[in-house]
Amino acid sequence: MTTMDVRNAALVDQAPARRSWWKALLADRGAMLALLVLTLIVLAAVFAPLLAPFDPNANSRAVMQPPAWSERGNWQHILGTDGQGRDILSRILYGTRLTLLIALVAIGIGGVIGSGLGLLSSMYPRLDPWVMRLNDMMLSFPAILLGLAMVAVFGPGVWPIILALAVASIPDCARIARSIGIGVMSQEYIEAGRAVGLTDWTIFRKYLLRNSISSIMIFLSLRFGQVILIGAALSFLGLGARPPASELGMMAAQGRDFLLFAPHIVAVPSVAIFIIVLCANVTGDALRDVLDPRLKS
Amino acid sequence: MADLLEIQGLTKHFPVRRGVLRRQIGTVQAVTDVSFTLKRDETLAIVGESGCGKSTLGRAILRLLEPSAGTIRLGGEDVTSLDRRALRAARKRMQIIFQDPYGSLNPRMTVREALSEPLLLHGMATPATIRGEVDRLITMCGLSAWHAERYPHEFSGGQRQRVGIARALATRPSLIVCDEPVSALDVSVQAQIVNLLQDLQRELGLAYVFISHDLGVVRHIANRVAVMYLGRIVEEAQTDQLYGNPRHPYTRALLAAAPRADPATARHKPPIEGGTPSAMALPSGCAFHPRCPLAIERCRTERPEIRAVDRNRVACHRADEPVTGTLDQAPGQGSPALLRRLAILERRRAAG
Repeated sequence: MTTMDVRNAALVDQAPARRSWWKALLADRGAMLALLVLTLIVLAAVFAPLLAPFDPNANSRAVMQPPAWSERGNWQHILGTDGQGRDILSRILYGTRLTLLIALVAIGIGGVIGSGLGLLSSMYPRLDPWVMRLNDMMLSFPAILLGLAMVAVFGPGVWPIILALAVASIPDCARIARSIGIGVMSQEYIEAGRAVGLTDWTIFRKYLLRNSISSIMIFLSLRFGQVILIGAALSFLGLGARPPASELGMMAAQGRDFLLFAPHIVAVPSVAIFIIVLCANVTGDALRDVLDPRLKS
Repeated sequence: MADLLEIQGLTKHFPVRRGVLRRQIGTVQAVTDVSFTLKRDETLAIVGESGCGKSTLGRAILRLLEPSAGTIRLGGEDVTSLDRRALRAARKRMQIIFQDPYGSLNPRMTVREALSEPLLLHGMATPATIRGEVDRLITMCGLSAWHAERYPHEFSGGQRQRVGIARALATRPSLIVCDEPVSALDVSVQAQIVNLLQDLQRELGLAYVFISHDLGVVRHIANRVAVMYLGRIVEEAQTDQLYGNPRHPYTRALLAAAPRADPATARHKPPIEGGTPSAMALPSGCAFHPRCPLAIERCRTERPEIRAVDRNRVACHRADEPVTGTLDQAPGQGSPALLRRLAILERRRAAG
């Protein structure tokens, strides 16, 4: 009987069920946790004005007060206060907002221009040497130096930093996109597309881009963490956001004078940076796993 | 009937560049001075060992590689002179089936998307009729309509090759270049695909250029066979004549080297010795002379032009001489398992 059933089942000509990618994502617990935390962070950053218990720039008499759970802390300032008596929780919320914004815009601009150049150069071998030499030139400028140059030209502020981070991201993105693109262009399905008579634009969009985008996104999500770190470093050097605006790197910089007496002033923004970068990386990795149809089975 | 495809003096040489200045230091002569014709309903097989230029020839015919010289006429129209736009339109009439069914389908596109693409591009269907057209195409190639919603990685090798064939057939081309279409498949699936290709040829009047190194499959499917060695056709003949009475010593060696159905038929000695010379530094005279058991002084200095011998074409100075005993003739039957499968499928088809 059983064998009959099996045989009949095999004869029924219909599509077996298929798992969708978001179900696969739901099954990955680590990724779900990272995604959840990242979502909370983004929401907190977006709604910072509503969530912040204090004005981030208002001074109070409670200077360098440690977080609530330590001996001398209290629940009024949950994460304590900094050297000027400003509420760290409020500043973290606003700082995350600015840090995320800077990194997102910078990676957006740098990613689109860089990957675009890289993919074009993988598609047109004649273009390749020129793009790559330009790239080498750009690679030889460290991001910090670019930041200094931008600040020298435009004065300190958020936009020069975004510009510097974007420009600094272009060569890396171009290089990665080019190598991914060359791998895709060597596949036989590109030739198959040409054999069908597709235009270069269609091949770029539906073949090259669609097959490279997930790998590029993984790189960008890893790069996102780096950009946050470089942005924080630039702010730490005083090249970024101008005080009293709060930015995570700047907050860490402002706390370094009190490192021995009030380590939480440095620790809290550093931990915040750490968590954001970690969650971005884990989420990026998990998205790659579920979005790549070849890894799905 | 007029010839569908006329190839005249087709040549593809690749420059080899080195160093920072990209100076040309040599040329790979992948395909040199190849000429042949092909009619509707006809299959011409191109055989030869790896690196002899078979695949380059196939791609040059379709201008997937730009030929260095020569002309290609398809249905009377000169394909070699078409500009990019006209060439894209002409792709409707000439298609290719690739060897690797795993690499030749875009992994990000469902079968429906992949098959819709040529149909919409060449105006074979409108967005309103596309669904039915794809379903018709996919069932014609032995798959079910629900397969269309799947991605290539969800298929077996044989199924993917059917998708590849469906894509090639989408625009109802008159010419299909099959570049080793069954080499990547196992024997039972090979037989199915070969039969599918033959059925489709009968139904649609296709002309195939069938590139292969499998002499068994070639014997089954081809009307004529062209043997290539180092970029040139050395012999072209009707299939039964090529297998029964090969004139070129290389053809004989190739047939002798084919796997035998019966391992008991002992081989006297390796038919030819030595490796293939580099296509960057071809031997003088006849390119085959360093390995040829029949080579004479003339072969070292003068390259034999391809010429008519009996009803076929051979490029050998000594093609008219009677066959000496140096090379034993081989049946070149191909794998017995494949032949059995083909026979079974043949019977099933005859039964209806």
